Amino acid sequence: MTNIRVHPCPSVAKNNYVELHSRSAFSFLQGSSTPEELVIRAAELNFPALAMLDHDNVSGAPRFHMAAKKAGIRAHIGAEVTCTDGHRYPLLAESRTGYQNLCRLITRMKLRAKKGEGAATPVELAEFSPGLICLASRPDVRIIDTYGAKNVYVELQRHFNRNQEAHNQALVDFARSHNLPLLATNGVSHATPQSREALDVLTCVRNKVTIHEAGRLLSLNSERYLKDARQMSSIFRDLPEAIANTRELSDRLQFTLADLGYQFPKYPVPPGETMNSFLRQCVAKGEHNRYYPNAFTAGLCRRAHAQIEKELALIEKLDLAGYFLIVWDIVEFCRSQNILVQGRGSAANSAVCYSLGITAVDAVAMELLFERFLSEERGEWPDIDLDLPSGDQRERVIQHVYQRYGKLGAAMTANVITYRGRSAVRDIGKVLGFSEPDLGRIAALVPSWGWVDPKEPDPKDTAEHQFREAGFSPENPLISKFLDLYLAIRDLPRHLGQHSGGMVICEGQLDSIVPLEPATMPGRVVIQWDKEDCADMGIIKVDLLGLGMMAVLEDSIRLIRDSYHQEVDLAHLPQDDPQVYSALQKADTIGLFQVESRAQMSCLPRLRPERFYDIVVQVAIIRPGPIVGKMLNPFLRRRQGREKPECLHPLLEPILARTLGVPLFQEQLLRMAMVVANFTGGEAEELRRAMGFKRSEARMRDIETRLRSGMTSNGIPAKTQEVIIQSITSFALYGFPESHAASFALIAYASAYLKCHYLAAFTTALLNNQPMGFYAPATLVKDAQRHGLHFKPIDVTKSDWPCTIEEHNGQLWVRLGFNYVKGLREQLAQAILNARQQSPFTSIQDLANRVPELRKDELRKLSEIGALNFIEEVPIHRRAAQWNSELAIRPTGPLFTTNQQPATSNQPLLPMTPTERLNADFHNTHLTIGNHPLAFHREKLNTLGVTPANQLKNIRNGWPVRIAGCIICRQRPGTAKGLLFLSMEDETGVSNAVVMPDVFDRERATILNNSYLFIEGEMQNIDNVLTVRATRFEPLHVAEEAVPSHDFH
Amino acid sequence: MYACIHHPRADLSAIAEAFSPSFEQTAPGTIVFRIDNLRRLYSTHHQIAQAIIKKAGAGANVAIAETADAAILAAHNFAGITISPNLAQLNISSLPMEQEMWEVLESWGIHTLAELAELPETGIAERFGPAGVHLQRLARGATSRPLKIFKPEITYEDRISLDHPITLLEPLLFLIARILNDQCDKLLSHAMSANEINIRLELEDKSEHIRTLRLPVPMRESKSLLKLLQMDLEAHPPQAATLALSVTIKPVHPRTIQAGIFLPITPAPDKLELTLARIRAIVGEANVGTPQLLNTNHPHPFQMVTHQQQATSNQQPTTRQAFRYFRPPIIAKIELEHNRPVRISATGITGKIQTAAGPWRTTGNWWTNTPWNRDEWDITLSNSTLYRIYREPTDHWYIEGTYD
Repeated sequence: MTNIRVHPCPSVAKNNYVELHSRSAFSFLQGSSTPEELVIRAAELNFPALAMLDHDNVSGAPRFHMAAKKAGIRAHIGAEVTCTDGHRYPLLAESRTGYQNLCRLITRMKLRAKKGEGAATPVELAEFSPGLICLASRPDVRIIDTYGAKNVYVELQRHFNRNQEAHNQALVDFARSHNLPLLATNGVSHATPQSREALDVLTCVRNKVTIHEAGRLLSLNSERYLKDARQMSSIFRDLPEAIANTRELSDRLQFTLADLGYQFPKYPVPPGETMNSFLRQCVAKGEHNRYYPNAFTAGLCRRAHAQIEKELALIEKLDLAGYFLIVWDIVEFCRSQNILVQGRGSAANSAVCYSLGITAVDAVAMELLFERFLSEERGEWPDIDLDLPSGDQRERVIQHVYQRYGKLGAAMTANVITYRGRSAVRDIGKVLGFSEPDLGRIAALVPSWGWVDPKEPDPKDTAEHQFREAGFSPENPLISKFLDLYLAIRDLPRHLGQHSGGMVICEGQLDSIVPLEPATMPGRVVIQWDKEDCADMGIIKVDLLGLGMMAVLEDSIRLIRDSYHQEVDLAHLPQDDPQVYSALQKADTIGLFQVESRAQMSCLPRLRPERFYDIVVQVAIIRPGPIVGKMLNPFLRRRQGREKPECLHPLLEPILARTLGVPLFQEQLLRMAMVVANFTGGEAEELRRAMGFKRSEARMRDIETRLRSGMTSNGIPAKTQEVIIQSITSFALYGFPESHAASFALIAYASAYLKCHYLAAFTTALLNNQPMGFYAPATLVKDAQRHGLHFKPIDVTKSDWPCTIEEHNGQLWVRLGFNYVKGLREQLAQAILNARQQSPFTSIQDLANRVPELRKDELRKLSEIGALNFIEEVPIHRRAAQWNSELAIRPTGPLFTTNQQPATSNQPLLPMTPTERLNADFHNTHLTIGNHPLAFHREKLNTLGVTPANQLKNIRNGWPVRIAGCIICRQRPGTAKGLLFLSMEDETGVSNAVVMPDVFDRERATILNNSYLFIEGEMQNIDNVLTVRATRFEPLHVAEEAVPSHDFH
Repeated sequence: MYACIHHPRADLSAIAEAFSPSFEQTAPGTIVFRIDNLRRLYSTHHQIAQAIIKKAGAGANVAIAETADAAILAAHNFAGITISPNLAQLNISSLPMEQEMWEVLESWGIHTLAELAELPETGIAERFGPAGVHLQRLARGATSRPLKIFKPEITYEDRISLDHPITLLEPLLFLIARILNDQCDKLLSHAMSANEINIRLELEDKSEHIRTLRLPVPMRESKSLLKLLQMDLEAHPPQAATLALSVTIKPVHPRTIQAGIFLPITPAPDKLELTLARIRAIVGEANVGTPQLLNTNHPHPFQMVTHQQQATSNQQPTTRQAFRYFRPPIIAKIELEHNRPVRISATGITGKIQTAAGPWRTTGNWWTNTPWNRDEWDITLSNSTLYRIYREPTDHWYIEGTYD
């Protein structure tokens, strides 16, 4: 028998042991500590190094590396690799070759399997063995054959488990007989003993069992935690060489992620060219096209050229020409395929990006700050985001990138899905065996209500109190454990998802940097690192983001070409169009990009945009930054001439003049630091980051000292210094980049222009790209109708899958498409179109016979919404169509199948009433092109003294008022101190109400549970911004169905 | 003419029996029967209805109509007494139909029975088939069907009330035997057996003593059943004198087994059950059965199950070292050196520990009020016996057993 004795062992040096086999939560449900927790604990135990081997991945490696770097310990990288022989091989990267082999091995096994599966064959293990050390956890000579005796350590683990000891004896015998070194590890899967409980829960989640059923799946004890050298030496007192070898092996492992060997991507250039020279050529061509046709002054051209030269010099110095060329190539592909594309974000600060056509904002003319995009001091690489039309077009671009750079040369970045409030609650609750109703009640306790007063924390907000309120006793051991587990599991990685658009490109060699995996979406490949990991590892990426409005703009251009027979070029839209600015000033912005929300609409009449830069400001101003930083109202007052624009200091005048002395953009903040404290561009960007979300006190103090000394040397008085510092620190956290606002403003202007001049096309495109934006299709339709647009109903003889435009007596009307029939399949719509193309349908029976894919529920829906009214020679009403449909869908044998008119063609049903039609429309299409539900009740509402939305402007400020409508939005933003904003629609337009916190508490049930409301309150009519301050609510019984409300609370 | 009584709570079969020997129990709480013969006793339909409602009590609806279905519909939808009801304005949801048909009719704007009745019958037949036609006839009150006559379920239950309380088991068994004899005869006559007997004793102190015997095989021999009840009552006697007793038998079909010529003779199931019952009475119920391995890391990973609960397995047992548990474990005193046991002292087991392996640590059930946490050691003494000892968190030591 072997003795295991645990007692202090004074003869063993403190740092004689290194843990070389630990697993983090990135083993996804097989570890319960984050890499950072493991590193922190290792540092507390004075470990000089720590190895992390997650299961078939290195997803946690960047976080592990960064945390270890911070803690001053070495991070050894490895993975436990699953083999087709049913075993797991713990592999450690000894050198960069080893790491690259590990990545290639995991990539190979993952890419041929389904997501989350895959195993390497023994042949592959041998093929990718160089540079890797294998920890043999079973006596098998094939491991020696694969890795060579010098690279195999026989791993011993002791967790006070009787059965394990027999296995260890066999391993010791194996090691001695083959002259292999022994290695002690603790097979760590949690940093501390307490984390074992969370691990047990994750084990249950992985095995889909409750904790009561899990039995022997659970840990035998809590011994798989990070033990110190003294404990481990004591446990392996009989095998001291197993402890000593850990240090020896750790010293052998030279590889860390600092030695990743990543090189910036290369772009294939024509013969005789370098990437730098080719980029210069492309930029020169673009510069000529961009600046010379529009250059009214030679000054702009000169400035542009100088700026481009400055940027190119830096790009060459940082060896980034390949990256810019790759992005340029993607943009060129989009152009060649007529796919709209526009760079957003900080890239719009670059004149090179503008010249290359990557961005649409002239950084020189708008005097944008290049250093916000790229600077030498920052040590970080640029991040170019491209907005593309969402949907198929974006997928085409992504597939183009895969094709061009090869399957192993390009991949999407991952998105680490972590346990969040409700997902943690549900998984823990299921594991603890809570019933579905109990789970629902507990999940509802997770705070989802946006705003909590930080000054007066409510004792009712404590978890204990909330549980008690919901009928759960915190004294119950399961409930008290539930709370502990919730805290332990929250924020742990759950699985790996796919980032919405981030792509990493590394020509033909990406799999040696990071393993690649297949995504759930067919044809997509994902790396095992997320966006932040890539940034930390210095890997350059490009974001290909899908933007619904880009798809709308693209579709609109096509529809305008087909229906209006006009060509619209978004790059050359008429500037300063009076209709656009008139609409913006009246807040007539439903459906427009970025300026359609309730908050934007309440600001527009006060800001009254008159030129493009005003739209840039408008896009940026309704953000947490200006609101929290209390910049919004001073700016609006100055804008309205009620306050004198004043800068904090004369030096800041050129920077803040165009925003009337109020800092609104991040670029202004950087420039302020540069001007008042002589910061370089890079230092200023460093300041912004230091004051970002992950603030460090020490860095803040350092920067403040530098700011003060700079300002003192510029002769700025101490009092002004204080104000400037206050302004910079409060704003840095939430500021919005001017370049980004400008890019968005361009799209906002384009959307407004199209709505004002091509309403049919714009509305059709909007309806075909739902869901997007702030409003439901029903509201978009009603708004378009109020602007004079006419709609035609869904009709099987006319409609396509999407909405289309039809000419009607010289006017363009919108025909609703089958895509608006709830539950109707696209393939069925296609079958209808194909059959219709062969010959028109003669009757409902004919339709049912010729489109056998048609299900009875689909035919019933089509007849209920009137889509079959015109199928026969003589139009029939909806109920007649329903009567005939029911006969058509009745299964009959072939003997009775006939195309003839139904036997009971004299149908007995009465036509639908207008209210019935309205309910049928809402029920089956979520919208109606008929009257608004409120229109049927206007007379009654008039007698109640209800003012229609379009008459509210006539009510004086402070007067009592009554409004009624269908709730289209309930919003309780975190910045609004508990206020609730309601948007209501009636047949004349949209009205807004604000609810004070006390009124909301009193009327909560009425407000939240009713689709139609009657509101009494006080009119607030200030600067043409119309809001009703609500005091009393009543449910309004108008219709069974309603527009679905967009709720943000 | 038909009468229908609808009362969610009352025992309607007894009420109906007072008016008609044959009736239909349409649903729990709904009974319908013909009333034509009652016209000899009552002059009007109203008088019949009043007589029924008087018997049924408050809260009952009574309807009299031409057809049984019309009477049922009226009794379900109209309170009190309804004679020859007008069903035209009733909602179609009162008709028994599938959700899909109801949705279609609603979407057609058909909300009342009158609207449904007015639709052309051919049209309805073409669209909904026979189900639709039946529904429409219901709506028109034009159905005609024979009643599905109710047959009461046979129960095997008897009760005896006593004039004087019984304190001894013997006279009580005498009474139980009387009931069992009757009930077993009844079982025999219906070709049934019992698989569960429930005995309820109403005691002098107003409490009840209830015992339930679940039988492993269906039985109907009153002597065997009586013996089983006797042993059970001896093991679990009532706490007071008995004033009344009732015995209920759960009937099942008897098990028929054809014995094979070459199969070994096994004890008769009822005899085996009697023997087991005797053993249970001696060693306690929880200690008889077959050990079943549990899916747990717990140090006692098994439970005793009766043969009813055993899962059959064709797997051959694997040879393993056996362990003999001491029940209960023996309290021991252990001397430690460097946290390692060196000497043991317990009743009958004392001496110097020659070798010790451990600790073997198990912890679990951390989510309950009864978590476990123990360190085990395997030790040998000078006589080469291999014991398992363990220490609880309270620092008490026990000898759990020996390895065979």
